[in-house]
Amino acid sequence: MRRREFLAMAGATAVTGFSIPRATAQVANWPERPVKCIIPYAPGGGSDLIGRPWAEALSQVFGQQFVVENRGGAGGMIGTEAVAKAAPDGYTLLATPGATLTVLPHLRKAPYDATKFVPCGRTGDFVTGFSINAQVGPKTFKEMVDYAKKNPGKLSYGSAGLATATHLRLEMLKYKAGIDILHVPYRGSADALNDLLPNNVQMMNEINNIPHVKAGKLHLLNINDTQRHWDFPDIPTLTELGHPDSDVPIWYSIQGPPGLPQEIAEKLNAAMVKLAQTDEMKSKLRAVSASLPVQSTKEMAAFFAADSQRNAELIKAAKVKLE
Amino acid sequence: MALGDLFSNLALGLSVAATMQNLLYCLAGAVIGTAVGVLPGVGPVATMALLLPATYALPAEGALIMLAGIYYGAQYGGSTTAILVNLPGESSSVVTTLDGYQMARQGRAGPALAIAALGSFFAGCVATVLIAAAAPPLTRLAQQFAPADYFSLMVLGLVFSIVLARGSIVKAFGMVFLGMLLGLVGTDVNTGNERFTFGISDLFDGLGFVPLAMGVFGIAEIIANLTNPERRDLVNAKVSNLWPTREDFRRSRGPILRGTALGSILGLLPGGGAVLGSFSAYTLEKRISKTPERFGTGMIEGVAGPESANNAAAQTSFIPMLTLGIPSNAVMAMMIGGMMVHGIIPGPQVMEQRPGLFWGMIVSMWLGNLMLVVLNLPMIGLWVRLLLVPYRLLAIAVLFFCCIGVYSLNNSANEVLFIAIFGLLGYLLLKLDCEPAPLLLGFLLGPMMEVYMRRAMLLSRGDPWVFVQRPMSLTFLVLALVLLLLIVMPAIRKGREAAFQE
Repeated sequence: MRRREFLAMAGATAVTGFSIPRATAQVANWPERPVKCIIPYAPGGGSDLIGRPWAEALSQVFGQQFVVENRGGAGGMIGTEAVAKAAPDGYTLLATPGATLTVLPHLRKAPYDATKFVPCGRTGDFVTGFSINAQVGPKTFKEMVDYAKKNPGKLSYGSAGLATATHLRLEMLKYKAGIDILHVPYRGSADALNDLLPNNVQMMNEINNIPHVKAGKLHLLNINDTQRHWDFPDIPTLTELGHPDSDVPIWYSIQGPPGLPQEIAEKLNAAMVKLAQTDEMKSKLRAVSASLPVQSTKEMAAFFAADSQRNAELIKAAKVKLE
Repeated sequence: MALGDLFSNLALGLSVAATMQNLLYCLAGAVIGTAVGVLPGVGPVATMALLLPATYALPAEGALIMLAGIYYGAQYGGSTTAILVNLPGESSSVVTTLDGYQMARQGRAGPALAIAALGSFFAGCVATVLIAAAAPPLTRLAQQFAPADYFSLMVLGLVFSIVLARGSIVKAFGMVFLGMLLGLVGTDVNTGNERFTFGISDLFDGLGFVPLAMGVFGIAEIIANLTNPERRDLVNAKVSNLWPTREDFRRSRGPILRGTALGSILGLLPGGGAVLGSFSAYTLEKRISKTPERFGTGMIEGVAGPESANNAAAQTSFIPMLTLGIPSNAVMAMMIGGMMVHGIIPGPQVMEQRPGLFWGMIVSMWLGNLMLVVLNLPMIGLWVRLLLVPYRLLAIAVLFFCCIGVYSLNNSANEVLFIAIFGLLGYLLLKLDCEPAPLLLGFLLGPMMEVYMRRAMLLSRGDPWVFVQRPMSLTFLVLALVLLLLIVMPAIRKGREAAFQE
């Protein structure tokens, strides 16, 4: 596989070097060889869970392998940078959560311009909400807010790290509900869960909480999504609880490098929209607690811009800082 | 759990694990694991990442059985390079190099490898029974640990690491601190500040363990061997028998038992379980030995104890993963990825909803361990003969595999450069008689200690008394203090005697 990829890439450099007239034909015939999807995080994480089923499905649809390559590091910036610098020929794509494009650039000097990526298709949103250890007492969102108001600074919340989506979710909650909860950053959500279960921290907002909600160790207080969770039809969304536009969605997508021909993006989008409506794809993503929104490339660009602006405002208001 | 339940569960597991298909997956995993363990630097994490997509097409049981096989297979294989060429491929085999490599130089690579394999097998069996019989209560035990307790345990661990050194205590202290400093490189978890990264994005996540370990141990050793023609024949003594003598077995029995016990407990803890297990086993053997000064010169106890401990820890680290869905290391995180791809969210419900999968996997671990010992014992002769390959050829092969291995970790060419830099550092340290083992342990434990300390302080809202108010934390701190005094006292006394003599 590696070897084949290498040969394919070597071929690509040779071709793009001198053959401009063939470019249009190449766009129309895309994909003619394996497509590399870079996931900017280590293997086994959330991005893999969403990216890999997609790579498999797209390989079947297009009859060319969509090869996943994990390029972790620097909070996702290394892999993202690699795609930003790749040839925009449709054979290197980025399969990423929103964080690398709509969160990190507001906090760090990113080695790429996030607004220049070409959206191809949404690949899924993780659906979960705030949960609290059952030993604390509150069982509903309102009870938790009352508890936090009566005991300011007593609750602690574990996030997967500074400036991750789940950290921003906490900042949004504090800001909207006017409560004081201590933020404790961990290296990843598993690490945080390890302190949540023995009640060293009291709250989290991650998909790995869900099995423990089902087992009764944690109470799920709300859902950070526009729709309720299929497994928990009784748990209200944040909007229903009176906090609209506060979800901080954890959304994933496939993006092309800057300059990717729109034709290729549309071709990919059409295939992805069709796939997203199949029961097989839906159930594969539901198994990892993810929903499957469908958007055109235009809608994606608008969604992306809105998400980026909301994050920028939140980061400023909550004084979230890196460096 | 009633005993009857245990047997019916194990029977269910056996019915799953002993199907022809799953036996084959188990064998495949064990063989691949041994192979990647033997290749320096190609660790189980990189291998599992490569093979994960291939497991999507398999049934969930087969996929997990194979992935688990790669992991414990690599534990067997990892000790082989540590013993033969002084290359710890995994953090948990660092201490194996101390006496294992010396044994190989004395022509006793065979007994060292055999004891490592047999000790690992014994530890694997015990740990498998522990997982089957006591996973839930053991998980609760591990959850008693709060951040303050982890911090104090790490302090104890660092003090232990000084005992590892053979020579000067001052130099050992220096190495521990140098290691901790190297561990500071990277992005701070609590503030997001970058420390010592010089704007190089490969350093944002810190220095990697594998490039550092390969550099200071393996590459430095190669440079030393090449600069010194007399050292170049790896085996300067005649190769004695391949099989351990009765005396070897007698001396190894205790260390294997103690190593298994220590490793089984420490493997439950997230983070450094297998590392803490292997080097506390080594320290323990050195402490209770009648001839502690001979450790580091090729004592079989120094191989038997840590090797049993790291295998036991490798197995018990499955416990928090299986019962809570909490990975205690990167490999377990990959396993969780493998489960979730098959639509199984790891957590307390797996045991009830998928008993066939859960128990099948446990039984397969025992079967896999059995296969590994059967596979590995006849291979010993082959490995030992590898040492007879002319060094000028072996050195190039080892360097070659090191580079591939390091590159495969993150697909990063810069990390390959790092091994070269660390190799030079290691050679310098070797010339200065500074031992790299305490450096590596400082590197591993220092950053963890910092994270736990700041987390504990955050959770106590800034109250430092939390470290002495928790009984477990206090116990570790007192032990660390006593041990520190024990180390320093003879040095002070000797210093004073020396002063009087003048």
